[in-house]
Amino acid sequence: MDSVGFIVNPLAGLGGSVGLKGSDGLADEALKRGAKPNSEKRALKALESVPKQILYKFLTCRGSMGESVLKKAGFSCETVYTPGKRTTASDTKKACEIFKEQCVSLIVFAGGDGTARDVFEVVGSEIPILGIPAGVKMHSAVFALNPKACGELIKLFIEEKVECLDAEVIDVDEKAYRRNVLSTKLFGIAKTPYMKEATQAGKTVLHAEKNAHALEDLAKFTASFMEEDTLYFLGAGSTTKAVADEFKLDKTLLGVDTFFNDKIIGKDLSEKEILKLLNSHSKSKIIVSPTGRQGFVFGRGNQQFSPKVLRKVGVKNVIVIATPQKLKETPVLHVDTGDLKLDAKFGKHLRVVCGWKLAARLKLS
Amino acid sequence: MEETKILLDENELPKKWYNVIADLPTPPAPPLNPGTGEPIGPEDLAPIFPMELIKQEVSQDKWIAIPEEIRDIWRIWRPSPLIRAHRLEKALDTKAKIYYKWEGVSPPGSHKPNTAVAQAYYNMKAGVERISTETGAGQWGSALAFATKIFDLKCTVYMVRVSYDQKPYRKMLMHAWGAEVHSSPTNLTNAGKKIREEHPDTSGSLGIAISEAVEDAATHDNTNYSLGSVLNHVCMHQTVIGLEAQKQLEKVEDKADVIIGCAGGGSNFSGLASPFIGDMLTGKNPGLEVIAVEPTACPTMTKGVFAYDFGDTAQMTPLLKMYTLGHDFIPPAIHAGGLRYHGMAPLVSHLIHEGYVKAEAYHQNEVFDAAKLFAQTEGLVIAPETAHAVKSVIEAAKNAKEEKTIVFNCSGHGNFDMSAYETYYEGKLLDYEYPEDLIKQSLAKLPKVE
Repeated sequence: MDSVGFIVNPLAGLGGSVGLKGSDGLADEALKRGAKPNSEKRALKALESVPKQILYKFLTCRGSMGESVLKKAGFSCETVYTPGKRTTASDTKKACEIFKEQCVSLIVFAGGDGTARDVFEVVGSEIPILGIPAGVKMHSAVFALNPKACGELIKLFIEEKVECLDAEVIDVDEKAYRRNVLSTKLFGIAKTPYMKEATQAGKTVLHAEKNAHALEDLAKFTASFMEEDTLYFLGAGSTTKAVADEFKLDKTLLGVDTFFNDKIIGKDLSEKEILKLLNSHSKSKIIVSPTGRQGFVFGRGNQQFSPKVLRKVGVKNVIVIATPQKLKETPVLHVDTGDLKLDAKFGKHLRVVCGWKLAARLKLS
Repeated sequence: MEETKILLDENELPKKWYNVIADLPTPPAPPLNPGTGEPIGPEDLAPIFPMELIKQEVSQDKWIAIPEEIRDIWRIWRPSPLIRAHRLEKALDTKAKIYYKWEGVSPPGSHKPNTAVAQAYYNMKAGVERISTETGAGQWGSALAFATKIFDLKCTVYMVRVSYDQKPYRKMLMHAWGAEVHSSPTNLTNAGKKIREEHPDTSGSLGIAISEAVEDAATHDNTNYSLGSVLNHVCMHQTVIGLEAQKQLEKVEDKADVIIGCAGGGSNFSGLASPFIGDMLTGKNPGLEVIAVEPTACPTMTKGVFAYDFGDTAQMTPLLKMYTLGHDFIPPAIHAGGLRYHGMAPLVSHLIHEGYVKAEAYHQNEVFDAAKLFAQTEGLVIAPETAHAVKSVIEAAKNAKEEKTIVFNCSGHGNFDMSAYETYYEGKLLDYEYPEDLIKQSLAKLPKVE
């Protein structure tokens, strides 16, 4: 019988809501800051779309690294590896060695770019890999758009209805990332089951706008409509940083900063800090830019905008901005907050401000 | 099956234009001289327009005779057919009857030569040697190139930059008729040079191109300016469309319940609609519904203000009372280049403001969805501008709870717009919008000057 390797990184995504930009080596710090593990919940969501009667068997790791999730989801499985008490990258790699020996047809993992990198290091492009997006950073192209889409892809793979294509495994230098420097590296090309509606693209880091005026026009217009006595939370990225530049203010490139009456009153905030500010101000808005090519408005790299934060601010107070060049490379937008009901509130289309007195309506998948 | 093409003989070509202003309870507000704030007089327009057209511009006469020389040229393609859209009706499973006036039969492929021929004629009679003009998608520029060649005049066309790049075959067509074509903004005029300095990457706009063409005419004695839309005399020249349609509907004993047309400057829309609005005003068809359709990317009628504004970006024209998004508004580079104008004919604006016409706006992708359906039912591949009207027709037909007759102006073919269709099929068309609420917030922060 064919088999699928299944692995959960129980510490993936911990850094997100507490603003740590990643979780590698910082699990204790994240937990101290109040972070709650999320990857098991995301993995369970993915498994909901996989039929119970499948002709493949799951090979997995004992306990929180896969077995407990599969059993909760009602699947039988064979545990082939037992990790230590606190799981590490080494456990992921050792498990994948065994999956490889056992000739699994596919490896499904719940984690982020870090986990993807660990899996890829062992199997390369010999075995297709598929990520349940549960990390902080998910720049690689091996992830499904969201847990439900991942479940669909697993089902289609087992039914042999989907082909596997080349997919970039990308990661950022986390230490540099925390110093506000974005430096990505291509680790290699894996194989992943691909369906346009379900697999996410690799993120493009747009270092230079083809039309420099376009970003300036967009930033100028955005700065011009920001109202007084209103909290503005500016998300990560170079587009929102350009807005701050209009006010001659120094915004963190990769964190969430808060503006109030033309001043920055909070830098690189966590979910908790955002909620605290929201409690003391009546009017607030969020300005974000979708991740280049991937098109995620929420759910990738800005998990500080948790469902709790978004519900408090209000979906109608979210302003999305992007240059026309980014929009041309990002035809569809996605929202993956982890709360499906909240995701649905964003509707079928999003307005994206893209220039001076200009916006575009994009499809939201 | 009932008749499909309803045709008229050449001798049924209208002999007079209809001026709807004569039947309106209140006329549209006059254009103003920006320097004095007073209504402009003939002397303000004489440097760039021939006297006959100036007279038509301010006329209160209900009917104005059409010279035989103009009708003779029109005979090449007019009267244009009124076509019953049997196949579209079936596809929509609608209770409505749909007719369209097919203006794509003219040599340039749209309604534009109806007025180009008239304007070239009157300029020729006045001894003018060259005409300068602007063009967006190229429909107007090619129509004027065609008309000026017939009367042996020279023609200079300032073509909006983004359209110059997007529609190369329109430019070639203008060359085929002997016109010279420049990508606007150019370095040939002060207006063009200024914009190029301030916004070197601009996609251009009709407002800018008008400034250039007007400056060209104003600074050369042998040159007059010709406008493809907006002004009263241009709208009136186009009433040949509606007048023919009325006769054609009489032939099949039908009566219009809804009139629809796309509107960029307003001439093709008012060309079809005005005679029918005349019926509304004189009590012959009081229940008529009239709809003007525009893109959400340039929503002049649905989101603009009704105020005096310049017709061009460099503020060279008189002030016109019209729906406007501001003369400095540069609409995004949508494929319906002919609808990328910040303003709207004062006549059409007045009709909307007085409640005779209502306006609708649609996104680019849903407009092309409509164009695709039209091509795959009626067979005609239409211009992106025209497709805005088709979108509204489809909505009206789908919502029809009882039998009604919808007539729309199928203003032009899309044979030179195939790259637009390809971009649509590749899923790369952006649905641009005008963020009205954010613009209001932005304007509210401007310093208030007492």
